[in-house]
Amino acid sequence: MSRGRVLIALFMFYLAAAPFLLPEFYVTLMNFIGLATLVTLGLILLTGVAGLMSFGQQVFVGFGAYATGVLTTIYGASPWLGLAAGLAFTAAAALGLGLITVRLSGHYLPISTIAWGIAFYYAFGNLEILGRYNGIQGIPPVGIGGWLLDTGRESYALIWAVALAALVAAANLLNSRAGRAIRALRFRATMAEAFGVDTARLKLVVFLYAALLAALSGWLYAHFLRFVSPGPFSVHLGIEYLFMAVVGGAANVWGAVVGASLLTLLKEWLKDILPKFFEQSGNYEVIVFGLLMLPLLHRARDGLAPLLARLAGGARRSAVPAGAPELASRERPAAGEPLLEVSALRKNFGGLAAVRDVSFAIRAGEILGLIGPNGAGKSTVFNLVTGVLASDSGEIRFRGKRIDGLPSRRIAKLGIARTFQHVNLVGAMSVLDNVAIGAHLRGGKGTVAAMLRLDRGEERRLLAEAARQIRRVGLESHLADPAASLPLGQQRLVEIARALAADPVLLLLDEPAAGLRYQEKRALAELLRRLRAEGVSILLVEHDMEFVMGLVDRLVVMDFGERIAEGLPSAVQSDPVVIEAYLGGVA
Amino acid sequence: MNRTFTALLAAAALGATAAHAQVTVGVTLGATGPGASLGIHYKNAFQLMPNTLGGQPVKFIILEDGSDATNAGKNARKLITEDKVDVVMGSNGVPSSLQIAQVAFETKTPYLCLTPISLPPERYHWTFIVPQPTELMMGAVAEHMKANGVKTVGFIGFSDAWGDLMYKATEHWAASHGYKVVTNERYARADTSVTGQVLKILAANPDAVVVGGSGTGGALPHVALVERGYKGRIYHNHGTVNREFIKVGGKNVEGAIAPTGPLMVPEDLPDSHPSKAVSLDFTRRYEQAFGAGSRNAFGGYSHDAVRILGAAIPEAVKKAKPGTPEFRAALRDALENVKNVIGAHGVYNITPQNHNGQDERSRVLVQVRNGEWRLMK
Amino acid sequence: MSADIVAWLVQDGITNGAIYALLALALLLVFAVTRVIFVPQGEYVTFAALSLSLLEAGRMPGTVWILVFGGLAAAAVEAAAALRARAFAALPRIGLLYLALPAAVALLVGWAAPRQPAQWVQVLLVLAMVVPMGPILYRVAYQPLASASVLVLFIVSMAVHYVLVGLSLVFFGGEGLRARPIAEAKFRLGVVEVTAQSLWVLAASVVLIFLLWLLFERSIYGKALRATAMNRVGARLVGIPTALTGYLSFTLASLIGAVSGILIAPITTLYYDTGFLIGLKGFVGAILGGMASYPLAAVGAVAVGLLEAFSSFWASTYKETIVFAVLIPVLIWLSLRSRHVEEEEERE
Repeated sequence: MSRGRVLIALFMFYLAAAPFLLPEFYVTLMNFIGLATLVTLGLILLTGVAGLMSFGQQVFVGFGAYATGVLTTIYGASPWLGLAAGLAFTAAAALGLGLITVRLSGHYLPISTIAWGIAFYYAFGNLEILGRYNGIQGIPPVGIGGWLLDTGRESYALIWAVALAALVAAANLLNSRAGRAIRALRFRATMAEAFGVDTARLKLVVFLYAALLAALSGWLYAHFLRFVSPGPFSVHLGIEYLFMAVVGGAANVWGAVVGASLLTLLKEWLKDILPKFFEQSGNYEVIVFGLLMLPLLHRARDGLAPLLARLAGGARRSAVPAGAPELASRERPAAGEPLLEVSALRKNFGGLAAVRDVSFAIRAGEILGLIGPNGAGKSTVFNLVTGVLASDSGEIRFRGKRIDGLPSRRIAKLGIARTFQHVNLVGAMSVLDNVAIGAHLRGGKGTVAAMLRLDRGEERRLLAEAARQIRRVGLESHLADPAASLPLGQQRLVEIARALAADPVLLLLDEPAAGLRYQEKRALAELLRRLRAEGVSILLVEHDMEFVMGLVDRLVVMDFGERIAEGLPSAVQSDPVVIEAYLGGVA
Repeated sequence: MNRTFTALLAAAALGATAAHAQVTVGVTLGATGPGASLGIHYKNAFQLMPNTLGGQPVKFIILEDGSDATNAGKNARKLITEDKVDVVMGSNGVPSSLQIAQVAFETKTPYLCLTPISLPPERYHWTFIVPQPTELMMGAVAEHMKANGVKTVGFIGFSDAWGDLMYKATEHWAASHGYKVVTNERYARADTSVTGQVLKILAANPDAVVVGGSGTGGALPHVALVERGYKGRIYHNHGTVNREFIKVGGKNVEGAIAPTGPLMVPEDLPDSHPSKAVSLDFTRRYEQAFGAGSRNAFGGYSHDAVRILGAAIPEAVKKAKPGTPEFRAALRDALENVKNVIGAHGVYNITPQNHNGQDERSRVLVQVRNGEWRLMK
Repeated sequence: MSADIVAWLVQDGITNGAIYALLALALLLVFAVTRVIFVPQGEYVTFAALSLSLLEAGRMPGTVWILVFGGLAAAAVEAAAALRARAFAALPRIGLLYLALPAAVALLVGWAAPRQPAQWVQVLLVLAMVVPMGPILYRVAYQPLASASVLVLFIVSMAVHYVLVGLSLVFFGGEGLRARPIAEAKFRLGVVEVTAQSLWVLAASVVLIFLLWLLFERSIYGKALRATAMNRVGARLVGIPTALTGYLSFTLASLIGAVSGILIAPITTLYYDTGFLIGLKGFVGAILGGMASYPLAAVGAVAVGLLEAFSSFWASTYKETIVFAVLIPVLIWLSLRSRHVEEEEERE
């Protein structure tokens, strides 16, 4: 049993024992911590993991609380109906807000969350049915069967049961097919798209999940405190929730408990202690809060949970499921069959033609090299083929089907996998998980299945496939290492393994040899030859002439956006136009 | 450590004599946050409280809730379960006070509420409201308007619970006093301009305007109305009556009329007024501690709550020891029957039907004259 | 709704909009140069306005303590950096800039406050107290994180906002304050009566906007700021010190905030926490203007002022809801326009 599991077991024991040992008020505090944990957990997934920052979660808490408040007091409905209504309303509202704002990554999203936070706060306070600023009194407690949860200790049981379920579900989610894609959203969205992840949809899903967790917290809040007024749904609470998420950090779902506990307890403690130092009344705890956040952000931007994780001894997940059946493979084209046909492709940037009427074709089973000096337009061609850029004119066909204009995730689906010139791995994730992203399209289980652990069979197959590809590139000893800990050469191999995990018909490699040492280049060339022998077709975009020469079957040479030569390496090498292009400036 | 020590002391005290058991009063107030301008005054008053009440030693535990309802409720729970207080007091906001009333109801603890709130009848059991009901206060305004032939009234108030209360109280007397409320405009305390609202009132051209703000917040619409040439009378409410209001409003608020408790103008009261002596004494002590002119209605509510409690304690200690549920129940019963308690805000005669117990003696009309609030005769 | 009312509302909207415009410009400037979403911009307004009111009453505003202690913290950070780099020669400069100067301002204010000097002296004192807050905040809170992502810097802004609002309550108390007007005259403009004070606000906004334009177009500092705003790495490569441009933009922002505060102190009652909403409305204005161009941001801010004026007439209860909800259609438009989310991808 790892130390992490021991910590979690101790925490569970504490949770179970707390209501019997703690005095009443501390149970109340624990309830508040549980409520905040739910909201913070959503924020950790949303902000910490997926990179979408929200200061507006308190609005969803409000939806959850008011929905049940109105239904149970005015219409005398059961709290469970209130829960269903709250979740449904929140889902609808979050979907609406999310559709508008989730696409706005960067700074617009947090600003817009503040804006709707203020807008809804005043709406809560002015709606007659919500009791205006006075709020709703006399909300009944939740009943399970005939048992009414009307004391702090009984609420404790409900709140923490829900919070624990949410924590476990979130941890399950992050360790799944969908979870790996979510973890790539923040820094690696382009990469995720290239392996078939619909990042916009996934962001929306995470946003929705965070909103529902907040609504759940609101429902529990309303039935625990039995009173709802607009105050707890003001923007400042939204800021506090975000602080909790920052303190907890993004590394671990348990960071939600850490952040919520630390801030709730700190606030309580400061409220007790600070008035002893200052005679005048003031918001001293807020000042101290702000002052504490600064060094935290300066020194430990990832929050405090990673520190705890280190204490717990890095939970390295290295066990590769043995004996999992292999994933279904794509039907392979016969050698020599035309795969990719690029004809008269053109792309302008402003007035500058980066690619001018370039045509070439790849047949199954060959390695085609696309070379040229810096600025020749190779990378642009690469981006056009992979759907990162849209062409201005011309055609790209893959196995006879037009793919120009398709988004990169659709192209990936057809059997084209790529690597990135600037290594595009999720640094904190293990090599195994990184490679498993490559197999994203070969699985189908979604977020809900992952949370409920209904995805285990498929998950085993996906991980086994990833492990197989890692062995194929010779990195099996680094399976469990965080990707960022590997040297550049090996990271490039991880990139290739990830592409292979997609079971591609065509592999597109973007300058795979850049920055590699001589020995590493030779090993890479060896690997590519082996892959060709195993029937993989490869388009290799390269700057390094020497690396390409002994490897490829045919070469296409570009310069100033035009194709200047095509043919066998030996023929191209002696082509005076090519020599002029490569050496022209110097000679 | 500290807590154990206190507990030991408490046990020792219990062993000695029940007659001198300490009564613990839990207070939660928001001297910060949106309601800070009121909360500070409430809190100040507790510095002037006596050490004994009704012959019993008394301890006040004061917590800060930042004018936030959730915090107020949390504080109330803490006071009741942790500190085992016998009675709760607070807070300076309607939602906060409603939340405390909920906790008091759940935990069966007497609650002296320092903000005028209204509850469903069955919920009053443990809650006693110290401040004058808003209807009582605004009734004085309604009478003055009736006497001066006001037929139409424009209302502008805070967009918060206080604004809602004031609007309701103004509406309450409309039919019986022969006027109509023609506008219901709202603004936020922190707004920088109320031009839009004021123009709407001017367009309706009412005979008088009632401002439902509090503290300095009441000055903004008043000043805007005067600057836009409004000539009718402008009435305020008891939340506005303080020195800062005049400081901020300057000569523009000259003539403003508001209801308030006797303690704002004890010097002007006739000697026959029952509250005169108590009001004078409290105002004097408050201004000694917090500066000349610092008198305000809110500190008076804290003061009166403690006086009411002082009147109930002797009855309650006859039945049970402080610190027990029995004492809390006895205290509640005693509070429900206090008679002729003279406070800075008038006289309290609490009954099971009326958990406030004030009458017309608890309100006076004051007017700004020469930069000071003076009694209207 | 008569023409008179429209005229009045327009006048009110423009006066408020002018303040929002100033803040929008400051926010845009800071964001473009440092990528900081400077939420506490509104706090400069409250600090300046409330400090002015306290000076009028002959009391020393607590604002000086921010200067003194903030300077102390900045000096500590700077000195630590200098010692690590063994740049001992920098120490006297640090002492002078971050210790002596704030102390001098504090002493001056402490001496002058009870003497209730002339209004223009008070205004200068307020500027001396509030403007240095900009560079000090930048040094203490933001510069150590200059390379962090926009989102991290955003959280820092929230933390700074918390600290400043908390201090504001301690320094100025919970009640509102209002300063004496700089000019008391009134003019008739058709049906509308215009106060000289609101003309001051307008004039000052226009002059400041013009000065900013001059700075950006004509001076070498302005060009450095623009270059940094366009491309940080490139600016550093051609030798523009990005830390300097950071200081410069923060100083300009605090100057603009302080001037706005001095201008509106006499028109309205300000509370310790008023700044947050004012600053956010400046933000809404900047976003309405697309968050890219200064003139458009100013136009957007004036639009916010007008919208606020008209909605306070039509539906005063829902004024804030309307003002902040107006962002949503704009955001829809922005989201339709930005096809490639990847372009804004955060760096790890």
